[in-house]
Amino acid sequence: MNMPVSPAHADATTPRLHVQRLTKRFGALVANDAVSLTVMPGELHCLLGENGAGKSTLSSCLYGLYRPDEGDIYVDGREMRFASPADAIAAGIGMVHQHFVLVPTFTVLENIIVGTGSGWRLPAAEARRKVEAICQRLSLSLDLDAEVGDLSVGQQQWVEIVKALYLGARLLILDEPTAVLTPQESALLFASLRKMLADGLSVILISHKMNEVLQADRVTVLRRGRVVGSVRTADSSRHELTTMMVGRALSIVDAGERSHGGGTILSVKNVSLRDARGVSLLRDVSLDFRAGEIVGLAGIAGNGQRELFEAICGLRPIDAGEITLDGQRLDSCNPHEIYRMGVGHVPEDRFKDGLVPDFSIAENLVLGDHREKPWRHGLTLDVGRLRQAANEAIKNFSIACNGAEAVVRRLSGGNAQKVILARELARASRVLLCNQPTRGLDVGVIEYVHRQILEKRDAGAAILLASEELEDLIAFCDRIAVIFRGEIMAVLPGRQADIAEIGRLMAGGTDARAADKGMSN
Amino acid sequence: MATTAIMGYRVERRSTRSPLAWALALILAGACALLVCAGLFIAAGADPWQAFAALLKGGLGSKRAIAETMVKATPLILTGLACTIAFRARLWNIGAEGQVFAGAMFAYWCQSTLGDAPAPIQIAAVIVGALIGGALLGGLAGILKARFQVDEVISTVMLNYIIVYALSLLLQNGPWTEAGSFFEQTAMVPDAAQLPILLAKTRLHLGFLFALIVAAFVHVMLLRSSLGYEIRAAGSNLRALEFQGVKITRLIIVVMAISGAVAGLAGAFEVYGVQHRLKSGTLGGLGYTGIIIAILGQLRPMGVVAAALVFGVLLNGATLMQIKSGVPSALIYAVEAIILMFFLIAWAASEFRLRRLHHVG
Repeated sequence: MNMPVSPAHADATTPRLHVQRLTKRFGALVANDAVSLTVMPGELHCLLGENGAGKSTLSSCLYGLYRPDEGDIYVDGREMRFASPADAIAAGIGMVHQHFVLVPTFTVLENIIVGTGSGWRLPAAEARRKVEAICQRLSLSLDLDAEVGDLSVGQQQWVEIVKALYLGARLLILDEPTAVLTPQESALLFASLRKMLADGLSVILISHKMNEVLQADRVTVLRRGRVVGSVRTADSSRHELTTMMVGRALSIVDAGERSHGGGTILSVKNVSLRDARGVSLLRDVSLDFRAGEIVGLAGIAGNGQRELFEAICGLRPIDAGEITLDGQRLDSCNPHEIYRMGVGHVPEDRFKDGLVPDFSIAENLVLGDHREKPWRHGLTLDVGRLRQAANEAIKNFSIACNGAEAVVRRLSGGNAQKVILARELARASRVLLCNQPTRGLDVGVIEYVHRQILEKRDAGAAILLASEELEDLIAFCDRIAVIFRGEIMAVLPGRQADIAEIGRLMAGGTDARAADKGMSN
Repeated sequence: MATTAIMGYRVERRSTRSPLAWALALILAGACALLVCAGLFIAAGADPWQAFAALLKGGLGSKRAIAETMVKATPLILTGLACTIAFRARLWNIGAEGQVFAGAMFAYWCQSTLGDAPAPIQIAAVIVGALIGGALLGGLAGILKARFQVDEVISTVMLNYIIVYALSLLLQNGPWTEAGSFFEQTAMVPDAAQLPILLAKTRLHLGFLFALIVAAFVHVMLLRSSLGYEIRAAGSNLRALEFQGVKITRLIIVVMAISGAVAGLAGAFEVYGVQHRLKSGTLGGLGYTGIIIAILGQLRPMGVVAAALVFGVLLNGATLMQIKSGVPSALIYAVEAIILMFFLIAWAASEFRLRRLHHVG
């Protein structure tokens, strides 16, 4: 077994990685301002920070994608200057990006060894032995001859990790590795990470999920490009870390008591949907949405969440079943008509689905309603009224921008999401559909989005909320529907839902209680 | 990081374009274009100073010269606007060329079937016919794209060939051929159908004024109307429009039809304002030059008018340039292309920057 071993000249007291006052500027923006960081061999080190805090810039500098303007990087005590990722890999640094860089039509083994051979020969046989050894050490069952395109997202991530280890990584950088995993897969990942750490590997984990952050040995918190502090996890707390990250203490949004479970507003009955090739995207989905109630939708990305939202909004024709709003069938309505009936839709991908990036805030706020009163003034748009409405929205939603004419392309993700919220909340008198409304947002904005959704619930709207943050779903939802391969596996009561149970259902497991019954019989 | 480095340099897009850098780039591009053109004139055996002077004098030297420049600019304003409308929606209508022919032909058909009507009615028939003819051909490409996913670049280029040869067919001993004529042309159109002259002793006709009105109309349409809003939105993010339930297929067809209608006007104005008969050949190139005009005008109607006037000067001054300095007037098309190339370089230089990558220390 040849797992990564520290080179002879380094001992346990030499840091695996030492970053000394690293500064990286992009024009006037200082993305990393004199950042220092020390990672010891065998240490799990978490980089914590909001969006734009400089985590990605720092990891890009460490992996040779960017060249720092100032500062030094030492690996195992030696000063390094990386001109490209190839240099970083040669120095023993591996990185698993959020978006994998694998060739889907290659096998697992081919993906691992691609680019490693010298000359014409691919070192397939020795490579296979080496990769098998790595998998064995991690108790990983990975079919080396399977095509990567056929693997689940979680398995693909393992391919990336094994590839980094195969290339001799002694320091592994993982960029939000659990974003695509079920709770069970995440637990497995951390268990395996522990084994690798025991072998002397160092890991830098980029994350903003507190339960993961707390599993690290050490946490370095970045804010606006600067290191706010570096603490041992054992000496810190969730509250302290959050405060460091955000720069102020956050109040916890309390979902409060459920106001009322009113009558059914939106009803999805036996809806099925296939794509052009006949692959089932939704199978016999039935869900009722009541006034003043939040229904959560849990599932691994790509299991039919998007299709369910689009079916309700009339963006995708359904093959079977019916969708009714206040008793009226929606299947023959176009999206615009459905929104006019009091439906707001916060789509999954804010910049691709929800906004026109080259338009101003004012123009984006009337997207879809631009042919309707009061925005239309004869044949033209009423520019004055548009600007006035935009100024109101900017004030009410505290959108940070240079005014109503600011181009949306230049806004941060959080402010862009606020523009969509301003538009969709105004429409959502009956139903609010939110698909991953807080993904990639800063903690402060997430808190704000949650408050807005709860306010809408209290105003009596029926709400569908899909999120990858299961803790959020449990905190806010009255019921949680778990979706797997287009099928609703179970609908669980919200507040008492067990995260492990949701996780198993997300992976396609059968309902836990039904299974228990089967055992006792 | 998806950028690739070439020989130690990397091209990056600037986050903002400073107006100063843009102005500087344009001045520099203008100077470079002049230099290259001067080289071209020297190669043609002429004194470049004399050639440039003659070019300017021919284009702007007198009231008549200016009027003739406006005449030359008129169809280019319209085809430039036609391309602008489509390009703003990211519809690559390369078919203004054919739509010019379609407009001229449909206008001729409408007007000639009227017979002896009073002048205003004949002229109205010309304008309406031109709009319909261009819209039909543009709309056809729109339908092909919206309903059958036929790429508009392919369909419009193919339709250009079809319409140009269709006109040849009609003019080669066809129903429209002038009786007893050897040329591929119709008989002269009646005086009542010719566009009124705006300035005595020049060829400046009503079409120029009309083209300016269309430019103002397109400007307001793009910036203020609901349709213009959808055109601009489609150009930036079609998907977001789709998510709002805007019927994209209808939008594509409408935009292509409007683009074609404006190009159609250019053809009819050439026939009824300048040539006074429909010939095969003399309408060629107006649509393709419109693409250049639209790009030089930065897809803005006022920019299009300015670019068309500059090209008008060049086209009009070329004759005097040939007489005075011996530079062949056909060389003016090379000058047009040189201007476009340096303009595009200036644009790229102000939008992007070259960053030197440091080497390993």
